[in-house]
Amino acid sequence: MRPHETHPKDQVELPAPTAWPVILAFGLTLVFAGLLTSAAVSALGAVLTLAGCVGWFRQVLPVQQHEMVPAPHVAEAAPVVTETPDVARMKVFRDFHRARIPIEIYPAAAGVKGGLAGSVAMAVLACLHGVISHGSIWFPINLLAAIVFQNSLALPESYINSFHPLLLLVASLLHIVTSILVGLLYGVMLPMFPRRPIILGGLIAPVLWSGLLYTSLGIINPLLDQRIEWSWFVASQIGFGVVAGLVVVRQQRVKTRQFMPLAVLAGIEAPGILEEKDERSEEK
Amino acid sequence: MSSESLPISGLAGLETKPRPTWIEVLHEWLVTVDHKKLGIMYIVYALVFLVVGGVEATILRIQLAIPHAHFVSPQVFNRMFTMHGTTMIFFVAMPVLFGFANYLVPLMIGARDMAFPRLNAFSFWLTAFGGLLLYFSFLGGDGLYGAGSTPDVGWWAYAPLTSVAFSRGHSTDYWTISLLVSGFGTIGTAVNIVATVLSMRCPGMTLGKMPLLVWLNLVMSGMLLFTITPLTAAQLMLMIDRYMGGHFFDTQAGGSAAIWMHFFWIFGHPEVYVLIIPCFAFVSEIVPVFSRKPIFGYPIMVAATVCIGFVSLSVWAHHMYTIGMTSYENAFFVLTTLAVGVPTGIKIFNWLGTMWGGKIRYELPMMWCLGFLFQFLIAGLTGIMLGAAPFDWQLGNSYFVVAHFHYVIVGGILFALFGAFYYWFPKITGKMLDKKLGHWHFWLFLFGFHMTFDFMHIPGLLGMPRRIYTYEAGRGWAIWNLIVTIGVFFQAVAVLMFVFNMIHSYFRGRVAGNDPWDAWTLEWATSSPPPEYNFAVIPEVKSRRPLWDLKHPEDPDWKYE
Amino acid sequence: MTLPQTMPAAPEAWTLPSKGRVAMFSFIVAETSIFTIFVVAYLFYLGKSLSGPTPRQVLEVPIFSTICLLSSSITIHLAVHYLRQAKYAAFKLAWFLTFALGAIFLIGTGIEWNKLITVDGLTISTNLFGTTYYSLVGLHASHVTGGLIALGIVLALALAGKVNEKHEHHLDVLSLYWHFVDAVWVVVFTVVYVIGR
Repeated sequence: MRPHETHPKDQVELPAPTAWPVILAFGLTLVFAGLLTSAAVSALGAVLTLAGCVGWFRQVLPVQQHEMVPAPHVAEAAPVVTETPDVARMKVFRDFHRARIPIEIYPAAAGVKGGLAGSVAMAVLACLHGVISHGSIWFPINLLAAIVFQNSLALPESYINSFHPLLLLVASLLHIVTSILVGLLYGVMLPMFPRRPIILGGLIAPVLWSGLLYTSLGIINPLLDQRIEWSWFVASQIGFGVVAGLVVVRQQRVKTRQFMPLAVLAGIEAPGILEEKDERSEEK
Repeated sequence: MSSESLPISGLAGLETKPRPTWIEVLHEWLVTVDHKKLGIMYIVYALVFLVVGGVEATILRIQLAIPHAHFVSPQVFNRMFTMHGTTMIFFVAMPVLFGFANYLVPLMIGARDMAFPRLNAFSFWLTAFGGLLLYFSFLGGDGLYGAGSTPDVGWWAYAPLTSVAFSRGHSTDYWTISLLVSGFGTIGTAVNIVATVLSMRCPGMTLGKMPLLVWLNLVMSGMLLFTITPLTAAQLMLMIDRYMGGHFFDTQAGGSAAIWMHFFWIFGHPEVYVLIIPCFAFVSEIVPVFSRKPIFGYPIMVAATVCIGFVSLSVWAHHMYTIGMTSYENAFFVLTTLAVGVPTGIKIFNWLGTMWGGKIRYELPMMWCLGFLFQFLIAGLTGIMLGAAPFDWQLGNSYFVVAHFHYVIVGGILFALFGAFYYWFPKITGKMLDKKLGHWHFWLFLFGFHMTFDFMHIPGLLGMPRRIYTYEAGRGWAIWNLIVTIGVFFQAVAVLMFVFNMIHSYFRGRVAGNDPWDAWTLEWATSSPPPEYNFAVIPEVKSRRPLWDLKHPEDPDWKYE
Repeated sequence: MTLPQTMPAAPEAWTLPSKGRVAMFSFIVAETSIFTIFVVAYLFYLGKSLSGPTPRQVLEVPIFSTICLLSSSITIHLAVHYLRQAKYAAFKLAWFLTFALGAIFLIGTGIEWNKLITVDGLTISTNLFGTTYYSLVGLHASHVTGGLIALGIVLALALAGKVNEKHEHHLDVLSLYWHFVDAVWVVVFTVVYVIGR
């Protein structure tokens, strides 16, 4: 291997070695070590620190001290080669077979509608339970709000059966938000159940959920657990599931967007980006 | 001319010089400002302390091997766990990572030295003298009963144990002041790395073309700027309390012991990420080279690292669930702690994605990285468990916690570090590490590691608190502790074999050549060991893998990036 | 074969940020963390002292020295500006003013502390207020002192005629530090003398 002919220079400028950093570091350490041993050590450290500072200062100002290091061409002449020059490309399959399900889903609005309808059904059932078992429509509402206001559970029955505007507000918020979220979940999941979506989504899922809560609520929140009548609980859950499911399946299904190109999914709109232009205009 | 002989022929002009005497060599290393020499000094310094810290760990484990043991006194036991923790974090893990950063960052960005070479030397010596000052406590000082003044307050030195009333003499001051001194060095190095990465890159190396190791070290140094100074501040407060009668942590004057915990962990938790991020960096360099594929998802890796850096600044109080914070604080720190798992998971998937479909070579560096991947995952899972406040209330301060963070530090950090040693030792010394000894080292250490730290979880689950001097028989802890202790000896033997391997290979190892791993970053373009000036001509780069471009001129990376 | 030959030249000029400024900004970030911790401690312990004196009883707002310190930011900026234009006389005057204003601030702090210790009997070990007050203001004062030493060295060199526009970069970095010290005082002032009283 021959050195390259047109090498600019064969010397390289590098910062000159200097003892001042180590002296300064030692001095500084001694200053602190004096706090542990005796003041004399600190004094020695202070002297070294001062000397180190001055020495270092003179090293870098007015100009930083450099040394020239010989840099023969040969050292640089090693070729960069590889013994394995072959490159294999990973195959990227573009049109391989891939199942995409579901093809059609319910729009988000269907889930919201279903959730709201279900929430009404659930509220009616729950209030019915309150009136029948406790003679008060406020009982289930206050019980729901107790998820947030833990202390109210320890209060006597009469408190839980009476009207409290704040608790009503909290309970309504909780009820509506949760219902909408669960409704959305139904909207997404119902098309995935192959047959009889109402039985699966409206009956089995609420029962499973109730079972899970029944077994775990005693540990999570025993006070709340004592107040819940589980037959009514299951009934209102099923009421929600069936009504929400019925409302959702009555909505118009739409095609999923997962077949569309990434650029469209990402919201980029530019001419030529969309191959299935016709389809898209049909949708509109 | 074969490339093996290049480093020597590079010094052709100096061959006539007589062999330098040892005093000349010593002088040369004392006054050097060369980033490579300083890097090596950092690494050697850390390895010495690794052995020291390992001996301390072995003493701890022998004491705990059987119930009612009296191998050492309780006082010595307290000193040993304090010194073991302090040494391993501040004088092993940080210096060794700084050593690699020092050595590799300028080489990888095509620079001749760090931005501030003298500051670099200064920082190293501060760290070094800080460690020596800490160990001077064994000899010097007027400690309690004149028995030396070695710190015995635990590596996090909780108040009020550190107050003058409970810690007589200077033992706590040794801990404070030596860490303060080495902390100044740490700040210097962090500033230096940031300035080097931002201001010293060779032409063409934009931020998006830096090797991941450089990126990750930049993030690590940036984090250090935020995190090491809170410790410095807390230690200044402690010194004000102890030397000037201040009341920061003095509960009798209205001060708060809990605020020391906050200040310490504001440093302490990001510190864990400061240690693990450079290890991510090693893995991110080694895995692609031995999978023969470019790193998967480079921008995501960078983003995930920066994300870890930010989020980890707000997770500190998950070390403090047991002190009784409000439920809002608990909820906040649980959420941030669990959130940190997301970018970390992204990184693990990216490494897997890099390996997927690659032609994996099971060389030693890669083996250590594979070990890292599995063990770091498990450590992350126990971390998620402990990050949930109710679980932590049950197991906080138990051996389960000890097992968890040793899984991170040994199973994660140390494994990646060993990988880095096997990977860059040929560059640093010009000799290959012996493969057979390396395999012995790997398998023995792997076995010992799992024997110790897998089984250490169990006494923790059974309720064994950390930092206890000894324990009663018949609690079901004894057998597990014995197994744990036996595992330590496997690890100790493995580490000794590693040290022997390094010394042996340095003198008699196979000559490595410039580029033994067929790698792609700039440090492999220069000779092994690199000349003082790194590159005779400052290189220019066009892509993230400059050596790939040179090796495959017909198919360079920059066409795709 | 060397590295540059095998690669096409970079299309545009290669410029990188100044390493001095990057380092100073990094250092400032680190310093900010220290001050943050001390400020947090001050705020946390506000009103938690078990005995007097309280801030309201003894602290007086140091308006004059604050104005001095803050205006020194302007003079140091002007000084570097003049040096860049090689107006040496103006540079020396502005630099001297900076130094003098900084020194006045430090003397002001000294007078304040002297009054607190001798008249009000507040020392660092008196109560939590004393501990946090002296350590926070003292930490800042130590930074001012360090800055003043650097300013003084430059002043001495300037009077000896050894500073010219080649050093503009160094002084620019030094002025960053001085601006930082001033900015910290704004925070410390707000916390100690506005919120804390």
